[in-house]
Amino acid sequence: MSHSAQRQDAAAQIELDYTYHRIIALLRADGRLPYRSIARELGLTEATVRARVRRLEESRTMRVVAVTDIEAAGYGMLLAIGVQVENRSPEEVARELAAVPEVFSVNVVVGAQDLEILMVAEDQAALHRLLQERIATMAGVRRLTPSLAVNVLKNQPDWVPFHEGEAL
Amino acid sequence: MSGGRRLDEVDRQIVARLSEDARISNRQIAAELGVTEGTVRARVKRMEAEKQIRITAITNIDRFRQGALAWIWIEVERSHQIQDVARELALISELGFVGEMLGRSDILAITMVRSNEHLAEFVHQRVSGIPGVRRTESTLGVNFVKHDYRMARIVS
Repeated sequence: MSHSAQRQDAAAQIELDYTYHRIIALLRADGRLPYRSIARELGLTEATVRARVRRLEESRTMRVVAVTDIEAAGYGMLLAIGVQVENRSPEEVARELAAVPEVFSVNVVVGAQDLEILMVAEDQAALHRLLQERIATMAGVRRLTPSLAVNVLKNQPDWVPFHEGEAL
Repeated sequence: MSGGRRLDEVDRQIVARLSEDARISNRQIAAELGVTEGTVRARVKRMEAEKQIRITAITNIDRFRQGALAWIWIEVERSHQIQDVARELALISELGFVGEMLGRSDILAITMVRSNEHLAEFVHQRVSGIPGVRRTESTLGVNFVKHDYRMARIVS
C-alpha cells in the first residue's frame, strides 16, 4: 500500500466516538468476528460497520492482525536487554537495532541504560551469534546487559507504534 | 519449551497473509495460496485453538493518549516468591508484559504511563505493596522506536 499522504489526511480527521471504541473492543476480543455479527451486536447496518472499520484502518488508528506466538514461530528464547551507548546518538543505534528482525521492541530510555530492547532467538547458539556478531559490534554499542525470560505470564501489548517495523 | 507448537510451511504462509490484514477472507487467502478454503479455515481455527496465533485488533498508541513505556524491574525478598508475585502482577490490567527473568532482576513488568509522576504513583500503589516485593527499579521510555506486533508470547 502506498497512499500514505491520503492516510495522513484521514488520520487528522477521525474522531473516536463511542461506536468506534465498541468496534475496536469487539475486534480485540475476536479479530475474525464477521461484520454481520458486529452490526447485530451494536445495532448498526453491516455497511456502516464495514465503512467504520475501513476508516479506522485508513486513519492508521487500528489494524486487525494475526499475532504469532514466538515459540510457534520457532524462537525458543526471549530476552530483555539493556544497551549502553557511547560516541553515537542512542536514536541512531535504536534505528539500526530496529532493522534486526529478531529485535522486536526498541525503546530509547533515560537512566542507567540508554536503550531497552526485547529480542528473540531460536536457541543458545543463535543467541550467541546475534549478540556477538550482530549487536555487540554495532557502532555506538558499548555494553549489553541481557536478561533471559524463563516464564512469560503475560504479553499483550495493545499499544504499539505504527510508524516503524510494520509489515506494510 | 513445550513441543509440537511449531507452524509448518502452509501455516506460515497463511499467517504471513493474516499478519498484514486479518480481515481478509478465507476464500481470498485460499485463492492466493492455491489451497482450498476449507484448508485455510481449518488451519486458522487450529492455530487459534492451540494458541499459536491470536487474531486481534491493535491500536496505534499515537492516536489514543500521550504515553511512554515504563520498564519496572522487580526483586523479591525470597526467590521462592517469584512465581506468586509474577502471578499477582499478571492480574494488573495496565501491565502489557510480565515475565520471570534470569539475570538483571527477578521479574520484568512493562506498562504505559503518562508521566514520571504517573509511573511513581503506579509503582507505589499497585506494585510495591504486593507481598514479597523487596525493591523495584523503573525506567521511563522517551522514544518508542519499534514494536513488531507480529511477535508475542501467547499465553491466554
